[in-house]
Amino acid sequence: MTEHFSSGHADRVLLAGYAAGAVDEATAWSIEAHVTACTTCRSALSAQVDAGRLARNRSVLHVRLALGDTGRTRRWGIPDHLLRLLAATPSLRRSWLLSVVGVLAVVTGEAVLARYSLGGPVRGNPSQQALVPFLLVAPLLALAGVAAAFMPWFDPAYRLVAAAPFSGFTLLLVRATSALAVAMVPVACAAFAVPGPSWLPAAFLLPSLAVCALALAAVTVVGPLAAAAAAGAVWVLAVLLLAGAHLPLTVVQWHGQAVAAGVLLAAAAVLFLRHDRIELGWMR
Amino acid sequence: MDEMTLDTQTAAIRVDGLSRWYGATQALAEVSLALDRGITGLLGPNGAGKTTLLSVLATVAEPDTGQVSVFGLDPRDRSERVEIRRRLGYLPQELRYHRHFTVARFLDYIAILKEMTDRRQRAEEVARVLAATGLEGQARKRIRALSGGMRQRLGIAQALLGHPDLLILDEPTAGLDPEQRLRFRELLSDLPGDPLIVLSTHQADDIAAISPRVVVLLEGRVCFTGTPAELAATADGRVWASGQRDERAHLSWRGGDNLWRNVGDGPPDGAEIIPPTVEDGYLLLAHAAVTR
Repeated sequence: MTEHFSSGHADRVLLAGYAAGAVDEATAWSIEAHVTACTTCRSALSAQVDAGRLARNRSVLHVRLALGDTGRTRRWGIPDHLLRLLAATPSLRRSWLLSVVGVLAVVTGEAVLARYSLGGPVRGNPSQQALVPFLLVAPLLALAGVAAAFMPWFDPAYRLVAAAPFSGFTLLLVRATSALAVAMVPVACAAFAVPGPSWLPAAFLLPSLAVCALALAAVTVVGPLAAAAAAGAVWVLAVLLLAGAHLPLTVVQWHGQAVAAGVLLAAAAVLFLRHDRIELGWMR
Repeated sequence: MDEMTLDTQTAAIRVDGLSRWYGATQALAEVSLALDRGITGLLGPNGAGKTTLLSVLATVAEPDTGQVSVFGLDPRDRSERVEIRRRLGYLPQELRYHRHFTVARFLDYIAILKEMTDRRQRAEEVARVLAATGLEGQARKRIRALSGGMRQRLGIAQALLGHPDLLILDEPTAGLDPEQRLRFRELLSDLPGDPLIVLSTHQADDIAAISPRVVVLLEGRVCFTGTPAELAATADGRVWASGQRDERAHLSWRGGDNLWRNVGDGPPDGAEIIPPTVEDGYLLLAHAAVTR
């Protein structure tokens, strides 16, 4: 590309190609960026392109500059338009992430205090019982982020989403995957801080995936709030029952992981079979 | 083509016996309509069912009973619903935005939702609708920094993305100043391809100015379909001028000429009958519905 601008100006063959619409997208963008700043090339181009088209091209360039580039992430193979959709994901907002970190800080602090007996006596296995609030909350934070991806009241423009032809399932998957990925980072960090086994940070991944997948599968059958509540209730019930038996960590140990894997597979099958039922914002 | 000559079997939009309930409240009651290309104005007071009807036509709400056909497609069928959406531009009432978005980002986002995946095509389309709505200079501005009128124009801009065949505009002129309203009328008049446009408004003068067809919706029922001239004609002989308020009128107001304009069923003998407007016809229909 630089050889076409070797003299500091775009060469005439290149400008003629642009005028004829015969250059590729990257070259067109380079020329547009150059002629915006270079009066000599703008004049040369004006002789070959009508003023209306030039003005339209300039407007398009302004829009593209306003939109910015997603070049680096596109190079990772993620399509540009899917990245753009992430900008409207509620659980990727700074305020949401701060809330997640805040909740994790509270339950982590509580676990640390309970472990070192500053929060009063703990019955049963003290190291396990101290983890109950953390075990309860961690996957629910991921679930909340995913639920926000499909609950209409978290998307101010949900009526436009509902009236658009874009696949609701694709949009939901993009949002849910990003919400889950982002939530798991602070959860894993907090799991390092709580007084538990060293494998704990990794142990939340599969149960969190299973709870979120369960909610996504349920949303093909019931409303979004009921789906999120049902998935959350399943997790809370499991943790509380095991906590009652003084074995709360079992929910993320081998047996718990096996059950989570089963739930994940079943939910994935339901999603595969019923994904066309997902329409964000559609009012029945 | 007006309603009288419109073939209900071949009309682009056909609505037959449409009802919709919200809990115990019936928003639409057995609405039947046939609409063809061009502009149709939907007139009615708050709570008349305009927004519900437009939501059903825009495929975001399902009717409880009745049949709806848009370009021969049934919005109850999922794949046909998606086909309708591919041809749709929709401006909901009181559209809310992602306020942290810039104007260009928001339009780009909506363009993606309209299945425009090519970046260059999206940028061209965003530039086009920005120019059409006079928002060229606002591309980098955050939505939270826009005035109410600019936000409304942004709502209209997003509806125009992709050259829709069907434009559903719920209160598009709300929040626009008089000049912007005129520019909006110009914009609709200049749209290429003769799209089917249904717009709702409280402004009878908007309807009279741009809609060859008007539908009056009152308490969930269609009370009138016809041309603006026909709506005005329903008030023939029922609008009169006087030097002071006439108690027999349903509504009276003093005009710029200091004369009272009275709209009612029984003008007094010898009253100075004046030509009715679309607004007069609408007011009389609305009054009849309230007192029914």
